[in-house]
Amino acid sequence: MKNFRIKVLQIFVVTVFVIIGARLLYLQVIDSKYKEKSANNVMRYEVKYPSRGEVFDRNGKYIVQSRESYDLMAIPIDVEPFDTLRMATLIGVPKEKLVKEFQKAVRYSRRRASVIIKQLTKEEKLRFDELNIKGFYTINRTIRSYPQKIAGNLLGYVGEVNDRIIKQNNYYRSGDYIGMTGLESAYESVLRGTKGVKINMVNVHGVSQGSYAEGAYDTLPVPGTSITCSIDAELQKFGEELLEGKVGSIVAIEPSTGEIIMMVNTPTYDPDELVGRQRGNNYMKLLNNKRRPLFNRAVMANYPPGSIFKIVNGLIGLQEEVLTPNIKYPCAGGYTVGRGVKCHNHISPVNLDYAVRASCNAFFCYVMRDIIDNKKYGSVKKGLDVWSEYVKSFGFGVDLNTDFNGELKGYVPTADFYNKYYNSRWNSLTVISLSIGQGELGCTPLQMANLAAIISNRGHYYTPHVVSKIHNQDSIDSRFYEKHNTMVDALHFNPVVEGMFDAVHKEQGTARVAYIPGLDVCGKTGTAQNPRGEDHSTFMCFAPKNNPKIAVSVYVENGGFGARIAAPVASLIVEKYLTDTISSSRLPLINYVKEQKIDYSVYDK
Amino acid sequence: MINRRDNSTLLGSIDWITILVYLLLVFMGWLNIYASVYDDTQSGIFDLGQRSGMQIVWMGICAVVGLVILLVDSRFYHVFAYPLYVASILLLIAVLIFGDEINGAKSWIMIGPVGFQPTELAKVTTSLAIARFMSYYGFSFHKFSDFIRVVLILGLPFCVVVMQNDMGSAIVYTSFLIVLYREGFTGYIYIAVALMITLFIVSFLITPVSVIILILLFCVVCEGIMNGCWREKIIYLSYIALLSIGIFLLSWTLFSGAISMVLAIEISILLSMGLVAIYAYRYRFKNITLFIVLLFSSITFVATIDYLFENVVQTHQQKRILDLLGVENDLRGWGYNVNQSKIAIGSGGLYGKGFLEGTQTKYKFVPEQSTDFIFCTVGEEWGFIGTIAVISLFCTLIIRLMKMGERQADSFGRIYCYSVASILFFHIFINIGMTIGLVPVIGIPLPFFSYGGSSLVAFTILLFIAIKMDLTKRESAI
Repeated sequence: MKNFRIKVLQIFVVTVFVIIGARLLYLQVIDSKYKEKSANNVMRYEVKYPSRGEVFDRNGKYIVQSRESYDLMAIPIDVEPFDTLRMATLIGVPKEKLVKEFQKAVRYSRRRASVIIKQLTKEEKLRFDELNIKGFYTINRTIRSYPQKIAGNLLGYVGEVNDRIIKQNNYYRSGDYIGMTGLESAYESVLRGTKGVKINMVNVHGVSQGSYAEGAYDTLPVPGTSITCSIDAELQKFGEELLEGKVGSIVAIEPSTGEIIMMVNTPTYDPDELVGRQRGNNYMKLLNNKRRPLFNRAVMANYPPGSIFKIVNGLIGLQEEVLTPNIKYPCAGGYTVGRGVKCHNHISPVNLDYAVRASCNAFFCYVMRDIIDNKKYGSVKKGLDVWSEYVKSFGFGVDLNTDFNGELKGYVPTADFYNKYYNSRWNSLTVISLSIGQGELGCTPLQMANLAAIISNRGHYYTPHVVSKIHNQDSIDSRFYEKHNTMVDALHFNPVVEGMFDAVHKEQGTARVAYIPGLDVCGKTGTAQNPRGEDHSTFMCFAPKNNPKIAVSVYVENGGFGARIAAPVASLIVEKYLTDTISSSRLPLINYVKEQKIDYSVYDK
Repeated sequence: MINRRDNSTLLGSIDWITILVYLLLVFMGWLNIYASVYDDTQSGIFDLGQRSGMQIVWMGICAVVGLVILLVDSRFYHVFAYPLYVASILLLIAVLIFGDEINGAKSWIMIGPVGFQPTELAKVTTSLAIARFMSYYGFSFHKFSDFIRVVLILGLPFCVVVMQNDMGSAIVYTSFLIVLYREGFTGYIYIAVALMITLFIVSFLITPVSVIILILLFCVVCEGIMNGCWREKIIYLSYIALLSIGIFLLSWTLFSGAISMVLAIEISILLSMGLVAIYAYRYRFKNITLFIVLLFSSITFVATIDYLFENVVQTHQQKRILDLLGVENDLRGWGYNVNQSKIAIGSGGLYGKGFLEGTQTKYKFVPEQSTDFIFCTVGEEWGFIGTIAVISLFCTLIIRLMKMGERQADSFGRIYCYSVASILFFHIFINIGMTIGLVPVIGIPLPFFSYGGSSLVAFTILLFIAIKMDLTKRESAI
């Protein structure tokens, strides 16, 4: 009996120790989650921010620079009582804000660092350093600055990431900056660089205990790559000046490459306003401006193209062989079939060259009807779809796939659209407005500039883009080297080019105001009817006629006739770009443009 | 001749293995105390301002105490067992009145900056007293007067320590159950204790209805194993089921649910006693009695612990138990200590993070890391290899103490050795068990490891008296 009890006790003791051993085996060897938990306890990842890549214009001028900036941090437990008013004055914030932010930091954690004030300037930082207040320190960030103060919408702005972005993309952490719009957003992955990290160890109170593994796992930040933008800063500035006070857009493209030379939107804003501590206020101000300065009209506005679109219809007619350069159509103040389309006073009958030169409406009504009522397609519906395909090959109604985010497709109607709209009861007369670029057509100023480039190239284009070089790469995206042919053969372009040349250079030409001696400007005016007041003044042109260097489109909302504002502006742009100056005889034109007052009361409603 | 004899008396016969294990444990404990309080600003391992330095002083005192014990005649402990016991009880009471309170327990005597806990010494004197009493000729658990005295000897220090609000140290006295078992205390008590612990745990993990059904099934099966007649069991269970559902539905319709399911089952069981009585009349009466006693005591027990747990057990003790059983999971509050402790030990892995490299302990994520949670440092810095080494040493020590006890010529020595083994075993099991989430948090030190003069000295005295007794026995055998 005694021996039994001795054995029981010994077995009991050994069993308990075996259970403890088994539990230890499980905790220490089998279950690996505790290693991770211990690391989470102890490691703090301190982000080292890279400086963001800078942006140059096509002539190597800085248009976006990175500027040093400092975030004021505090570790509340280290802070001793200090003169809040003096400090607030030194760093240029209201005392109440400083106190409020500090209390917020205390609530978050007394032992961990919090950002108190973001984006101190260098001067503020130096003044702060002299004070030497315990518990406060600054960390380096970089923010943007815009030495040329141009092209706000084109360049876009940089902002702090929001929760949605953090959830979508695991590169970003709270407090990171990201390009929100424009180039900053489109080239975010190039510009942002790579964050570095410094791994610190902390104790239970969150107080740093030095770096982990002597910094073996720390990484340095890699600065963002700079890019060269195809924008000509000086030209851009000139364009912005010309359109000041007007609502509209100028886009210029280098036809041989598709590089965008300028992209003006007015009203515009000083991009520096969206940097720094005043950003929030300024942003709201811009957002509440009824003329919508933050709206990138050049690639996002859906405008009727107006008469400049006649060129496209002429070209399709020639390709479809329903039109030859010699065919003449009568015009007695307009096209008289159906509801009719009015025209201004000019000689009759006219051929293609003259119809382009004088912008005859009736002529293109005949052409349009011949295209879509072509017997070969059997019905107007088929015919319209063929027409649609042609138009899309000119880059209308499709995504051009530029290097811009949020580019608008515009709209080119198809038979389906009218079938729905008119319940299938429609004919070529119903859609006659398409012949003069009105009706359901919609396009962006960029697409119009691209049309000018296509005509100047005699039938092809390169995808428009604003970035010409990424500094550590040999080439930009391959899609920008790809030649896009329209469905119209090159030989058909000569008659319309002649017509556009004559519009600027000959008697009865609608665009004679765009004439610049020796530059061979070819242009087409447009006066786009619209439901929002006076007609839009539009113009597209390219120069010189052979070996074109620049293709421009100008769109001025409610500016009236194309020749009134758009044509002079475009010609000034062309002259400035090709000759680097404005000849003295044409200087009054600048003033003329600036003095044109347009009634924009429609925006203020 | 004389030299040889001298040699064998003091050095030759001494249990060197136990001494070696003791020295190893104390040394390892000291290293881990150093590691647990270590940070980069610390001046040195021997700095008296640090716990590692202070522990050196206590180790020196222990060396002296150990040597003195080995030199004192072992009959001294037999003779002075009662006076020492009485003195220690008086001391405990004195502390209760005049002592200082640290961490809620009024069990400290402060001599300058150095604290001392008489509770630790009381374990030694109680062991001696119980050994002395139970070793008298003719002692038997069957004699009621003997039994009640054993209860008194153990209960007195227990009660005083409870009054000092030091539950952890008080619970240690339950470890004497091991000694009592060795000395022939009835085995049923242990089965009952095991059942009670099981029932206690189970009652937290499952719903009251399940508990009562489980108890009923268990009792019926127990009775069935003894008596057979399974057909009657099935009839009985069906009767209970039908009756309780009937009562429940009746109360549902008549009193809109005034009687809960648990109560319904209890009423049915009560009503079924008539059936049981008839059954008992036809079969063996004694086994049926056991069935009834088991059934009713279990049901009463569950009801009682529910009441006690809610009304008597203190909040932090409730939380520690609920947390251990996974009923609550509050990692920032009550569960923080154990969670951080498990992280520390678990993150050690197979080989550990290395001496002084434990981030959990070095950066103070683990609370009480040099005292009650010292095992975390072992686990984190020395890994599974280290923890297995430590528990192997402990296991060796306890088995050796039991063997020592069996080697003793008289029952006084044997009972004392078993007492030492039991107390050490209890401390080790509870302390390590709590750091790895096997038992609820109970604040008692890990022998030889935890920082603290009183516990180190007390465990040294406890162990060395056993060694001395073993030595004396061998001496006389020569």
